[in-house]
Amino acid sequence: MIEAGQFDVGLNHYLILSAMIFCVGLIGVLIRRNTLVILMCIELMLNAVNISFVAFSRYQANNDGQVIVFFVMAIAAAEAAVGLAIIVSIFKRFKDVNIRSFESLKG
Amino acid sequence: MENIVFYLMEAVILISALLVVLVANPIYSALFLVLTMIGVAGIFVSLDAYFLAAIQLVVYAGAVTVLFVMVVMMFNLQKDAKAFSRGMLGNVLKTLSVVLIWSIVHTAITGVFSDFGRGDLPKIEEGSIAMKSLATHLFTKYVFGFEAISILLLVVIVGSVALAKSKGGTHD
Repeated sequence: MIEAGQFDVGLNHYLILSAMIFCVGLIGVLIRRNTLVILMCIELMLNAVNISFVAFSRYQANNDGQVIVFFVMAIAAAEAAVGLAIIVSIFKRFKDVNIRSFESLKG
Repeated sequence: MENIVFYLMEAVILISALLVVLVANPIYSALFLVLTMIGVAGIFVSLDAYFLAAIQLVVYAGAVTVLFVMVVMMFNLQKDAKAFSRGMLGNVLKTLSVVLIWSIVHTAITGVFSDFGRGDLPKIEEGSIAMKSLATHLFTKYVFGFEAISILLLVVIVGSVALAKSKGGTHD
C-alpha cells in the first residue's frame, strides 16, 4: 500500500541512508581481514554519521551540526594518516597486512 | 526532481559502499571508496551544505583516498586470497548481528522521524550568508575545538612520520 507522498524525501530517508552505510561499514570491519580495507570501512562509518549530522542540522535550521561535521572530517583525516603509518610499520615487520598474521600482539 | 537526485545518489552510495566491502582487491576498494565519498558530497549538496560538500570532495575524495591508494601501491599485494574471515558460520553470525542492529535503528527512525517531510524544511540563509554564519560559529562558539584540532593535526604529522620511520615491533 503506497500512501500519497511516501516517496517524498524527508528527514527519515537521510537517517535510514546513514544507518545503511553505517551497517555496511560495520559488516566490512567485521568480516574483512585486510587491515587497509578495515580502515576504509571505518571511513565509511564516519561518513554515515556525518550524513545524519548534516540532515539533523538542515531540518533544525541550526549550524552547529555542520561545525561538528567539520571537526569529524579533520579527525577522520588524522586517523587515516596515523592508521596508514601503523599499517606501513606492520608491513615492514610482518611482510603482510592480513590481521591473521599479527593477531597475537607480540613483537 | 530533488527526490530523483536523492534516490540516484542513494543508489550510487549503497552500491559502491557494498563493493568497497565485497571486492577482494584493496585498490578497487579504494576506488569505490572515492565513488562513495562523491555520492556523500552529493547528499550534502541536497541538504544545502555546500561548504561541507566541497570539503568532502577535497579532503576525502582527494587527500585521504590518495593516501590509501599510495599505501596500497607501496605493498606488493599480488593476491589477497584470504580477504574474508574464515568460517561460514562466523561470517553469517556477524552479518546477522549487524542486520539486528540495523532493524533496531530502522524501527527507531521510522517510529520517531517519519513525519518530517521535505515540505517542512525550515528556511535558512542562502549562499554567502550561510557561509558567514558557519564561519562565525566555528570561530566563536567552537573556537576551543578549532584550536584542539590544530594541535591534533600537529601531533598527527609528527606521530605518523615517526611511526612510518620505525622498524615496527617493540621487542628489539
